[in-house]
Amino acid sequence: MIPSLSLEITVLLLGILMLLVESFSRSDDKRGLAKMAIGILSALVGFSFFVDPASGNAFYAVDATAHFFKVLALLTTIVVLIMSLEYSSVLAKYLPGVTPGAGLGEFYSLPVFTCAGLMFMASAVDFLLIFVSLELVTISFYILVAYMRRHTASLEAGVKYLILGALSTGFLVYGITWIFGLTGETNLAAIQHALATKAVATTPLLFGLMLLLTGLGFKVAAVPFQLWVPDVYQGAPTPITAFLSVGSKAAGFVVLLRVLQPFLGVPGVGVKVLAVLALMAALTMLYGNLAALPQDNFKRLLAYSSIGHAGYLLVAVASVSDTKATFGSAGVAVAFYLAGYLLMTLLSFLVLIVVARHSRGDDILHFNGLAKRSPFLAFAMLTAMLSLAGVPFTAGFYGKLLVFAAAVQAGKFWLVGIGILTVAAGFYYYLRIVAAMYWQEPGDTTPITIAPLTRTAIGALTLAVFVFGICPQPILRQLKDGGVSAVQENAGKPPQSADGLRPWGV
Amino acid sequence: MESHAYFPWFILLAPLVSAVLIQLFLRRSRELSATISVGAVCVSLLASVFVFFGPDTVKANEIPWIELPDFHVPIGVTVDALSKIMLLVVTGVGALVHIYSLVYMKGDESEARFFGNLSLFMFSMLGIVLANNFAMMFIFWELVGVSSYLLIGHWHTRDTAAAAANKAFLTNRIGDFGFMLGILMVWSSVGSVVFRDIEHNLRLITADPTYLTIAVLLIFCGAIGKSAQVPLHVWLPDAMEGPTPVSALIHAATMVAAGVFMLARISFLIAPSPNAQAVIMWVGIGTAVLAALMATQQDDIKRILAYSTLSQLGYMVMAIGLAAPGPAMFHLFTHAFFKALLFLGAGAIIHALHHEQDIWKMGGLSAKMKWTFRSFTAGYLALIGAPLLSGFFSKDAILAAAWQTNKLVFLLALLTAFLTAFYMTRLFVVVFLGQPRSDAAKHGHDGPAAMTLPLIILAVLSVVAGYSVIGERALGEHLWENVHKIHHGEGVGAVMALAIGAFVIGTAGGWVLYKGQAKDPILIPLFKNKFYIDELYAALIAGTQDLLATMSGWFDKWILDGLFVRGLSGAAWGTGFVLRFLQIGNLQAYAFLFGLGVVGLIYFLVFA
Amino acid sequence: MSEYFPIFLQVVVAIGFAASALLVSVVLGKAAKTNKAKDSAYECGMPAEGGAQPRFSVKFYLVAMLFILFDIEIVFMYPWAVVFREHIAAHGPGIFWSMLSFAGVLTVGYVYAIMKGALDWKS
Repeated sequence: MIPSLSLEITVLLLGILMLLVESFSRSDDKRGLAKMAIGILSALVGFSFFVDPASGNAFYAVDATAHFFKVLALLTTIVVLIMSLEYSSVLAKYLPGVTPGAGLGEFYSLPVFTCAGLMFMASAVDFLLIFVSLELVTISFYILVAYMRRHTASLEAGVKYLILGALSTGFLVYGITWIFGLTGETNLAAIQHALATKAVATTPLLFGLMLLLTGLGFKVAAVPFQLWVPDVYQGAPTPITAFLSVGSKAAGFVVLLRVLQPFLGVPGVGVKVLAVLALMAALTMLYGNLAALPQDNFKRLLAYSSIGHAGYLLVAVASVSDTKATFGSAGVAVAFYLAGYLLMTLLSFLVLIVVARHSRGDDILHFNGLAKRSPFLAFAMLTAMLSLAGVPFTAGFYGKLLVFAAAVQAGKFWLVGIGILTVAAGFYYYLRIVAAMYWQEPGDTTPITIAPLTRTAIGALTLAVFVFGICPQPILRQLKDGGVSAVQENAGKPPQSADGLRPWGV
Repeated sequence: MESHAYFPWFILLAPLVSAVLIQLFLRRSRELSATISVGAVCVSLLASVFVFFGPDTVKANEIPWIELPDFHVPIGVTVDALSKIMLLVVTGVGALVHIYSLVYMKGDESEARFFGNLSLFMFSMLGIVLANNFAMMFIFWELVGVSSYLLIGHWHTRDTAAAAANKAFLTNRIGDFGFMLGILMVWSSVGSVVFRDIEHNLRLITADPTYLTIAVLLIFCGAIGKSAQVPLHVWLPDAMEGPTPVSALIHAATMVAAGVFMLARISFLIAPSPNAQAVIMWVGIGTAVLAALMATQQDDIKRILAYSTLSQLGYMVMAIGLAAPGPAMFHLFTHAFFKALLFLGAGAIIHALHHEQDIWKMGGLSAKMKWTFRSFTAGYLALIGAPLLSGFFSKDAILAAAWQTNKLVFLLALLTAFLTAFYMTRLFVVVFLGQPRSDAAKHGHDGPAAMTLPLIILAVLSVVAGYSVIGERALGEHLWENVHKIHHGEGVGAVMALAIGAFVIGTAGGWVLYKGQAKDPILIPLFKNKFYIDELYAALIAGTQDLLATMSGWFDKWILDGLFVRGLSGAAWGTGFVLRFLQIGNLQAYAFLFGLGVVGLIYFLVFA
Repeated sequence: MSEYFPIFLQVVVAIGFAASALLVSVVLGKAAKTNKAKDSAYECGMPAEGGAQPRFSVKFYLVAMLFILFDIEIVFMYPWAVVFREHIAAHGPGIFWSMLSFAGVLTVGYVYAIMKGALDWKS
């Protein structure tokens, strides 16, 4: 049994170590750094199963939800680092430097810091920690998005992300201050306690919550805060796009679930918030899926698709209720959907990076005839697309099924209706890629070489997509037994005093 | 779990493994992929044989897949008499066709793709046979549609092949839509999609006869599509554009039989609804007669066989409608052998004659292609119901069932039997007897052993499969009892006499009319043009469909429901195009819209 | 309404002041003459050099940012320094290690900045 906080501290130390090695090392080839990070992070995935469940405190929850999202964060970072290795040759072209490998070290260490932020966020049950970890994630992303300094699209994406991100953070902090002002607390459990015992004016509370939703809506790319997504996704270095679309989204949703929980039981507030979330979900699904239809650039298409998937996840969030019995199913739906989404999105980006490097472009037409050039990659991409579209026996199908089931349980039939319509639209554009790969003649016929590490990752992700789709029951049982839901373990308990804080979590 | 429980999974997974391996790694190595594919089907065959001789009901083993409060879908297999015989037919014919394809497809540049798709088809077909619930069956049902699409369109550079593949896929989709609705109706009434549970809770759905009839008829729509019954029969003759082994496997023995199999699987649902039975019966006999009439005037050897298949499938469907699933499965069983034999024989001829398919350019092949001729003769005689061959017994059972239920239907069935004898004799006489009528026909020759051997094996099976020793063992106690009862019902003697009479008259008529002819002495435009049904459909669809088709471009083939979704996607694309203008790329505009969104949502949340 | 009167008065005064200032300058001042010398920057006779918005070297920003980074830590350290003695007496040395780790992280940042040449003006 190890204290839970030691995981995050290890990740942070790893990041610091990587920075130091980067600054002292004379060698140009920094790929060793990334490989070391991959190794250590993989070990941490294993260690995370031996966490002492009693090592949490008022700021920091140790429960199944936290564990689940920490594993997600670690796995995502590992795959992103693998992508970065594959992408390093492209990256080097857009970096000023005398030698080809210069300046790549930070590209490998910043994702590690992001990972630490994501892991903190998975456990955060206090607005202070939520905010600090969210900023750790976001600021590393600002740098990473604009990393290709000689590439105008990347710079433009960076500026857009910085400005709009700062705007949304402003709303988030503003929202937190409103809620703090009303309840006098920043701890979620304490807020719930205060809301239950004190009389709190509804209108300012709703106002504060709406500002919170704005900040988090930006992170998960929900309509109407989604405008940054296509430009930033297209301009950012591809591994970072993948990280954004998975990591940022997962973080946003875990925080959203945790933050919503104390407010659901407040009369006149919970119902309204869920109604607005349902509205956002419907708009997000429609916007993401419809705007994806005419796209010709694959990264941009995935950006819109990521908006669409945020919509399905919001459907599940909007279907939570404050009673514990049904609360679990929506939480499980979100968790499972995110896990499946992680697998298929990372898979498609991984294949995209390999293909784009060989085809010198990331438009759909660069995928023409991929089945002839590399059946392995084509099959992996086929798997990813089928899963994103939601074909049975894939992770994506089962995730959608759970989400829609949660919505039906909550009686939100109109959301299911819109959901099914947009899924149909989704089939249309995902299968365009499949058609290009299998039915078009390849532009150039050079076979594609894949690094062993990348090949392993692609194979593992492809397999996992099917495993999640064909026998999800063991995983789901784990989630349910582990009590994965947005319900905090310490909900309703009186908040601990600040004196009880144990800085090392021991 | 006892070892028997594993065999069904071997049957199912062997072709899947082969398909995945070939798709993933072996697209460039033709021979290895062919070997793997043949190996996989042999594993399936072997496992099927074990299952066949294994215990009658293997303890159900299932993996829970979807577990929601009101909706359970396991991934599970059924092993009973019905699936056992079907497994044997599918893997048996499948194995022979695989071996035959080794020769037939040699030298094709996409041989690996062909074998990969063939394995995929075997996987999906076996999935239908083994499925223990509607949801799984439907998924495999769709997979069969996809893999047959890929196989029909194997030579996709040929426009006709691509068009035929599209036609098959879309026509099937129409039927499948009904199938899906039917499944939903059954589920909403019984609360389960597992066959076992539905059978146990049958009274829940039989309580409302109208509801049941509608549900059964909707499910029957799926069978109409897949088994190519009137009015959705149009895809099957066109599907002959695919490679001949595919025609033999898919469009004679297995895929088209899936509809009949499915009806037999749910016969417990059909039995309580006399109205549905009547509809099924009339659709069946209608198909049988119409297809037989069309077959009398075709010139393409594969098309004649295709219409003959349609006609025989009509028989089977009719038998289901006559509450005689036993004879239906019996006929399916024997038909699978002799029709696969006829197709493979036709394939051997086509192969030898360098892809000549017009029967009027053949002739005199009996001397040149001895083994093909001998085996073909066996299949021919079995099909037309020559006494003491397999087709005679199974057809007789169906005719007897018709006699015992409805005399008018019996007369029509008898007419079909006569027509069958007539057009098959026409085919036989024109192709094998007389003088060679083209250069190619003069140089015909038997194929290599891998091609001839399957023919001989199938010929033997076609001769003996009808005897009760084999039939009883193959069909299992329950189904055979059904056959047995009909065979000992009233009017059996008269039926047999009349059937033999139809056979004799038909054969003699064909022989007299076509002996020594160099071109068709009779011309009936109505039959030759297939009652103008294709033209009618084309005219109906052309106006609306073509307009939309041009808009959606080449990826039409991915569209699920033809006309319906085509309109929808057009609308959706338009909306997407408009939405794209929101994305103007200007940061100030984004920030402005962002603020607008905040204000809007605050209005909604706080003030609305 | 009467309680809004001071506000109304303020509005009137504000508008009145702006309007009268403009009016007075029109009445008292000479009608503006324009010529090249008058329009030049500074009107001092020396021709202006270069553009109006010269680009500064990115190094200025870098140094400025580093300054803020290392300067802002005092915001954290100052209150800490005020209470740490009592806090350690009451709750043990946790607060000390916290600050030490914070300083450690800062040091790493400092070392990194030096090694990367961020403080190296020439290069």
